[in-house]
Amino acid sequence: MKSGSKLEQLIAAGHFVLTSELGPPMDCNGEVVLEKARLLKGCADAFNITDNQTGVVRLSSIAAAELIMREGLEPVMQMTCRDRNRLAIQSDLLGAAALGIKNCLCIAGDHQSFGAVGRLKGHPGAKNVYDVDSIQLVAILKGLRDDGVQQGGDPLEKRPALYIGAAWTPLGDPVEFRPFRLKKKVDAGADFIQTQGVYDVELFRQQMKIAVDMGLHERTAILAGIIVPKNLGMLKYMNSSVAGVSVPETLMKRMEQARLAAGDDKKQASKNQAEEGIRITVELIQKVQEIPGVRGVHIQAIEWEHKVPEIVKRAGLYPRPIITEKGENNASESENSCG
Amino acid sequence: MSQQNGESTVIAPCTVGCPVHTDNRQLVDYIIHGEYEKALRLLLDANPFSSVCGRICHHPCEQNCRRSKVEAPIGLRRLKRFVIEATKEHRLAYSKARQVPPGEMERVAIVGSGPSGMTAARDLVSMGYPVTVFERSENPGGLLGNVIPRYRLPYEAVKEDIDDILSLGVKLVTGMEIGRDITIENLFREGHSAVLLATGLSESRTLNVPGIDSEGVMLALPFLQTVLSPIPPVLGKRVAILGGGNVAIDVARSARRLGAEKVTIICLESPEEIPAWKWEVEEAHDEGISIMHSRGPRKVFTDNGHIKALELKRCTSVFDSDGRFNPQYDEMDTATLLADNAIIAIGQRGDLTSLNGSDVQTAPGGRLRCDPKTQATSRQGVFACGEVLTGAGSAVEAVRDGHRAARAIVHYLETGDLIEQPYDDPQALGELPDETVEKIVKRHPLVLDLVKPELRIKDFVEIERGFSEAEALNEAKRCLACTTGAFADEEKCAACLTCVRICPFGVATIEKTAVMPQEKCQACGLCATQCPAAAIALKRFGTTQMRDELRSAMESQNTELMAKPLIVSYCCLFEVTSRNWVSETTVNCLESGIVRVMIPCVARLGVLDILSPFEMGADGVVIIGCSSGDCLYPTAEQRLENTVREARGVLGEIGLEEEVIDYWRTEGSAEVSWSSFWEISRRKLKLMKDNEGERANDSSRAKTTV
Amino acid sequence: MIVAERKPLSEIKQYVEKYKKILIAGCGTCTTVCLAGGEKEVGVVAAALRIAFLKEDREVEIIEDCITRQCEPEFVEPIAEKVRDGGIEAVLSLGCGVGVNFLSERLDSVLVFPGVNTKFFGAAVEPGVWVEMCAGCGNCILDVTGGICPIARCSKSILNGPCGGSQDGKCEISPDVDCGWHLIVSRMQKMGTLERLSEFVPPRDWSTSRAGGPRRVIHEGMRSQNEGSEEVT
Ligand SMILES: Cc1cc2nc3c(=O)[nH]c(=O)nc-3n(C[C@H](O)[C@H](O)[C@H](O)COP(=O)(O)OP(=O)(O)OC[C@H]3O[C@@H](n4cnc5c(N)ncnc54)[C@H](O)[C@@H]3O)c2cc1C
Ligand code: SF4
Repeated sequence: MKSGSKLEQLIAAGHFVLTSELGPPMDCNGEVVLEKARLLKGCADAFNITDNQTGVVRLSSIAAAELIMREGLEPVMQMTCRDRNRLAIQSDLLGAAALGIKNCLCIAGDHQSFGAVGRLKGHPGAKNVYDVDSIQLVAILKGLRDDGVQQGGDPLEKRPALYIGAAWTPLGDPVEFRPFRLKKKVDAGADFIQTQGVYDVELFRQQMKIAVDMGLHERTAILAGIIVPKNLGMLKYMNSSVAGVSVPETLMKRMEQARLAAGDDKKQASKNQAEEGIRITVELIQKVQEIPGVRGVHIQAIEWEHKVPEIVKRAGLYPRPIITEKGENNASESENSCG
Repeated sequence: MSQQNGESTVIAPCTVGCPVHTDNRQLVDYIIHGEYEKALRLLLDANPFSSVCGRICHHPCEQNCRRSKVEAPIGLRRLKRFVIEATKEHRLAYSKARQVPPGEMERVAIVGSGPSGMTAARDLVSMGYPVTVFERSENPGGLLGNVIPRYRLPYEAVKEDIDDILSLGVKLVTGMEIGRDITIENLFREGHSAVLLATGLSESRTLNVPGIDSEGVMLALPFLQTVLSPIPPVLGKRVAILGGGNVAIDVARSARRLGAEKVTIICLESPEEIPAWKWEVEEAHDEGISIMHSRGPRKVFTDNGHIKALELKRCTSVFDSDGRFNPQYDEMDTATLLADNAIIAIGQRGDLTSLNGSDVQTAPGGRLRCDPKTQATSRQGVFACGEVLTGAGSAVEAVRDGHRAARAIVHYLETGDLIEQPYDDPQALGELPDETVEKIVKRHPLVLDLVKPELRIKDFVEIERGFSEAEALNEAKRCLACTTGAFADEEKCAACLTCVRICPFGVATIEKTAVMPQEKCQACGLCATQCPAAAIALKRFGTTQMRDELRSAMESQNTELMAKPLIVSYCCLFEVTSRNWVSETTVNCLESGIVRVMIPCVARLGVLDILSPFEMGADGVVIIGCSSGDCLYPTAEQRLENTVREARGVLGEIGLEEEVIDYWRTEGSAEVSWSSFWEISRRKLKLMKDNEGERANDSSRAKTTV
Repeated sequence: MIVAERKPLSEIKQYVEKYKKILIAGCGTCTTVCLAGGEKEVGVVAAALRIAFLKEDREVEIIEDCITRQCEPEFVEPIAEKVRDGGIEAVLSLGCGVGVNFLSERLDSVLVFPGVNTKFFGAAVEPGVWVEMCAGCGNCILDVTGGICPIARCSKSILNGPCGGSQDGKCEISPDVDCGWHLIVSRMQKMGTLERLSEFVPPRDWSTSRAGGPRRVIHEGMRSQNEGSEEVT
């Protein structure tokens, strides 16, 4: 075991793993984090704690990760390259490991200009760092953990046992290059991969086929990203504005029909769409599960975390397996109640 | 190569083409600016026979005009005629101003008052030499005054030119034939130090065919002379003219005007070879004159000693393989043409009566012996010029020869030596490249209708009219302003490529620094406007001229006394159709508060030009461009819009109202629309000023109450 | 070339409005070419200031000048002298920031204000549009990226790109910004060298860039020549 995290163990044992996302608040209210943790407990194997997602200042991922551990959840601490140079990043990685955090997702991070959206002002005028990029970060972390050296070359005595994750946008432009970039991440040391949200299962299957042909699925665990759609507007937005996400026409039609079925009743319309969104999510989960090389899913219910338990149950992924002392595992409802 | 520091070593081909090198480009520019007096002076200095040439010149300037490649040449001849007609009074004043009091210099006698002799006379008298012109006929002017038919050249035009020359102090003695009434040697004895023979070609050549001396057969020159006389010749119904040159056409058209019903020109040449000018042939055709090509006279049939018909043979070729005139005939192919009269117009030759009793030698063939380079004859002090020396040509060529003769004589009188003056033409600007032609907006010249053929054959009244002022201005703006375009200062040029990107004609390129090949440049000035290094200048209407004119306009008036709001109006010069209107509105600027600066294309305005008036105290700037889509220069309107926007932006940035800059497009013409534009802008500015005043009052009041 | 943009005149006016005699100094090189500070622009700024001061009934003497380059002592010294001798109270430089620095160093008691915002090293991709293409990082890596600079042209300056934000060839920050990495990938693809991008580019040494402190370049040949001539004298 590289880290001994639960996620690592389940993957190693060949389970179809499930991760979900937990976004910290924009203030220092740790109680919010704890509440969400309680809500989600048992619904997934590990929980990504975002790092100033979309360039918005939030309670730090390292602290939030520590908070949910108190509730018995396993965090996947996210670490972006946007806000820290290689010194800060390494020091935070060492700190996280010291706090008992065992998974780390290494990502570049959205550009700071994204923080100014809707009512939010964000910090578009901030100086970004990007001293190293996400692949370099993976390599640095691997160096710390496996070789016991800092990026600059100085040795470590106690090495941080972190399970290394990286993101992958399989359908991002230029599409042809995406599998190669995945390989770069794997080569650099990514133990697991969480993908950008998948709606177009067919295209994703094609990209996966390439990855599988390259043998990448054996060297890393690929978890397909699923973003839960709330309504037609969100699907449209994702399709047009979120890089690397394309939503097939049929899905949008379904959502539209759900809305139209409610007639003029707005409340009913949003209810219908929510229900349809969950139905779509469940179907997506089931479909990607069948794609060769996919070892799990990563469910992102942005500001909609309370729907995760329902989704997980309806997708037949509940209850989640537990780890016994010997490292064996089986599903048990009593220990890990969900929702 | 052809351009260095803006110093052009080549000149516009219209000028090169003109035998006296009239600076046509400059002339057109003067016209565009309404400076007709300057145009006149330029014309007269080059050509004292400008009234004549404005009507009958075969205009090699136009034939050389580079615009021909776009659609048609600039109507330079008519523009010149326009200048002459627009400046009659000024011409008298100008003559007066040029008079040189005769000094104690050698006297010169000139034989013949045709254009060559009179031009030499004018040049000499202008330099202080007392000159006497001896003319054997009663009318001065040579062929111009005594032969060329009036429907083309009214006598007033000839008289204008002659009077102008005489007013400078040239003495004219008419009815005096040298060689008969007095000899050349006598002229020397009487105190002349040099004699110039300008006796022209005054005899018509005749034909050697049986029956040619029968009654009713005439020679061209005597015929034309009598046409001008009080008792014109009487002709039969059918008149045949032998010959295919311009003289033959003049004869034919005169015959038609004298009542001949069936006028036929018989010429050896095919339609393609006919030497008469194309337009002459067409006009003759319109007047019902027919031309029999490839025929030559074989015999004159007579009846009682009077011509009855002509027998004609086929001419199989006119020129031999060396291009020499050497007609060949098919004597078996004949035709008969009934004719009551035949007029022979096959060429002229000199009448050397003037040499009688002198030491001047002749060459074999009865021609004058004279060196065309020095214009000197075999007798010391005797020179020759004009057609007697050069052979048949045109009036303007005779004028050139007159200028040369004057120089030759002055040199002789000053040094006792002869001077060689070869006919070297300056280098002409190359033709317009095809890719430039494509980019030039087509503007067809105005075709002025002649008097209708059925009317004009009734008399000898002039058939062509001159341009109106509006027409002249409209024609003038077609000029491509050859050789006066942009050039870059190497020192300043940063090779930024702005000019390359801006030029609507694809002219500018960068070779280390910017170069604008003159062959392509249209002198629109857009590049100079945009050049960030201020490295580009123009020869025509230079880049600082806008500001200079503005400054002088503002300084010439006391701006304090001028009506407010004070407006500087930059106006497109090309939209004005009368000069008077321009000067009237200029005079009014004290009352109207509108100072106008005329610019050949307002797209030449840069941001700075638009701002400058405000520095000088103006309240507003009103730019008036051409009517939409009418600009000579592609993209110029768009550029101007950008410049205006930029200038407004600058004012906005310093807290001024952007509306103080207005941009109008001419509607109809300047005369029709500009006044109302000024009025609308004036009212708007006044309102703005009043409001501002009120605000200021309010705030001062507010302060006092607090 | 260095690309700059003229500052708003309202801002420029604020700088200089306290002074009675000012010099506006253009630069005949980069800022001329990018239409921000050449002789023509000096004239425009001067005119605008004169108009603004006229409106406020203030008398300010404005002197215009434009030199070949504001970053060479030989060019700058005469203008500095003109300022010192001419009683000029403030200078507005329309050269890039280098010009402002360089002039300031030569003028002890006269303030030099920037008249332009110095933006970047870029190229004119079309008339009137300049795009940043080099970040001056001090250790060129363009050999690895097919001649297209990821440091200058990727919003995140990442070396193992493209990040997930690339869409239709555009960067996630704006549809007006080309994704530098997209350009790199398509170019390498065209050249058949795409596989080079599979190689991991390790974290780079930024000490050659601004991060390493103010930088200098020494051309020994030129320098020793000067020293040599000094020795002779
Ligand atoms: C019918 C016709 C039409 C023409 N049309 C045109 C035209 O459209 N455009 C154009 O450019 N050109 C035209 N020309 C040509 C033009 O008229 C001549 O080129 C020009 O007039 C020649 O000028 P000159 O001074 O050499 O001689 P001339 O004009 O011939 O003048 C010679 C003068 O010398 C006088 N003279 C001769 N011998 C003596 C002597 N012994 N003593 C005193 N005086 C003497 C003659 O009387 C005459 O007045 C035309 C010519 C003709 C014949
Ligand atoms: S375009 Fe103007 S300058 Fe050029 S040849 Fe014609 S008349 Fe002369």
